[in-house]
Amino acid sequence: MISVSHLTRRYGAQVAVDDVSFEVGKGEVVGFLGPNGAGKSTTLRILAGFLGPTAGTVKIAGHDVVDDSFEARRAVGYMPETAPLYGEMRVVDFLRFRAELKRVPRGQRAAWVDDAMDKAGVLDVAHRRIAHLSKGYRQRVGLADAIVARPPIVILDEPTAGLDPNQIRAARALVRDLGRDHTVVLSTHILSEVEACATRVLLIHKGKLVAEGATETIRAMGATTSVDLLVRGEAGPATKALQAVEGVTGVSPMAGAAEGTRLRATFAEKLSHAERTRVTERCVAALVAAGCGVHEVRPSGGSLEDVFTSLTRDEAGAAS
Amino acid sequence: MRAFWAIYKRELFTFFVTPLAWVLVVVFLVVQGMHFYLLVDHFSRPVDLSGDETPLSAFFGNTVLMYLVLFVLVPPMTMRLFAEERRSGTIEMLMTAPVSAASVVLSKYAAVLTTYVAMWAPTGLYLVILHRTGGLDAGAAASSYLGVLLVGAGYLSIGLCASALVRSQFLALVWTALVLLGLFILGVGEFVTREGTTMHALCAHVSVWAHMNDFASGVVDSRRLVFYGTLVALPLYVSTRAVEAWRWG
Repeated sequence: MISVSHLTRRYGAQVAVDDVSFEVGKGEVVGFLGPNGAGKSTTLRILAGFLGPTAGTVKIAGHDVVDDSFEARRAVGYMPETAPLYGEMRVVDFLRFRAELKRVPRGQRAAWVDDAMDKAGVLDVAHRRIAHLSKGYRQRVGLADAIVARPPIVILDEPTAGLDPNQIRAARALVRDLGRDHTVVLSTHILSEVEACATRVLLIHKGKLVAEGATETIRAMGATTSVDLLVRGEAGPATKALQAVEGVTGVSPMAGAAEGTRLRATFAEKLSHAERTRVTERCVAALVAAGCGVHEVRPSGGSLEDVFTSLTRDEAGAAS
Repeated sequence: MRAFWAIYKRELFTFFVTPLAWVLVVVFLVVQGMHFYLLVDHFSRPVDLSGDETPLSAFFGNTVLMYLVLFVLVPPMTMRLFAEERRSGTIEMLMTAPVSAASVVLSKYAAVLTTYVAMWAPTGLYLVILHRTGGLDAGAAASSYLGVLLVGAGYLSIGLCASALVRSQFLALVWTALVLLGLFILGVGEFVTREGTTMHALCAHVSVWAHMNDFASGVVDSRRLVFYGTLVALPLYVSTRAVEAWRWG
């Protein structure tokens, strides 16, 4: 549905997006992940047709965003960051205006607007002025706008920014629902968010794509940095046994064990996924050999957060 | 065309839900009403019937009131057209819908021009009053309103262009006012430059004062039509290119 190749975007001398290529298939929910200023918004704005690429090509549902911008924009429902809306309009009037603008046939307009309001959960404020709505509702009106013309692709820029935890949960559920009928691209700097909604992740940092893959793959790629073990008995012999294991660089006691001792064995840096698994095996074997019964083995780290820190740290290390 | 109507309707709606619009309409009609009252009062005295002046030609021509009103009216009408959307970010939603830059520019322009016409509409009552109480030259009345429409159309186009070129509403207001003032002053140059010089010809050509005098006395000169056609088309063209250029800026 979306095909981006060698996309570069400059603002004057500053490079916001640097030679990025990726594909998004039909029905995927893709999370764009990166810290603030990484180039996420710029990329999404180019996909949505608001900005033009400095170099490279972007095709939306087969239409080039430069040569065939009109058709490309028709295929996309886009919600900009912070969902800017016309505050003086009522929700239902605003969505009817948007539906008309997006060429929803007159006969279907009212029904499609009602449907979008229902999906986004704004039916109860349909006749309120947008300026009087809370941030959460405004965000949802933005979402309703993105889906009102039933586009095959929905692009959401930071759909949960500025919402409270309850609203964030609701927004994520909404995005997951959207994934059933649309191809969804969303951006966020919160890692748990892509874990919660996306099937695939694109990590972007300083305008470059640093990693790409299924949410599980990305998590596996990286980043188990240690293993937590709950063992029977005293910490002394267990610690000694673990320190002797090849591939373990440190052992530290942890709080929170009702009985026995909880220890964290930290792995050496830059081990592959397979190597880390083997180190874990060796840890357990060493403990058993030392006569410490193992109650619990839990890999720690491994969240996207850790993937991200390790990936960007590697890059910083390589540069210096 | 669908995008054109959608934006046109929304612009009209937006203009009339803001208090600013009603303040402008009221100020405009109060000033025009007083102007008309003074003229009628003047012409109802039998002493001073000099030349071929009629209330109509005096209302539309030979008066600074008209420009003063337009000068105060046009910049606040046009300043928000694009600048406000860029400030609040709604321009991003607007331009990511399947709409062309030209249809956005033209629909906004059509909406503000409609508003302008609506503001002048109540002054049609003055014609009814003049017609009932004395003679009214229908041709001169028609050409006067044509003049009002042309001058307004040109000014509004300049205002829209300023709003598309700068980011802040206030700057759009200031730039529009400066350009309109500059045009007017250049026109006044007609009276201070020597006849026969290029400068004089130029000043006479752009003099809104002279144009309105012509229109008010029923003269429709094709040079004026071309001049105002240009004054409308050129800023609209520049605005369209500016809107297209935002994608690359």
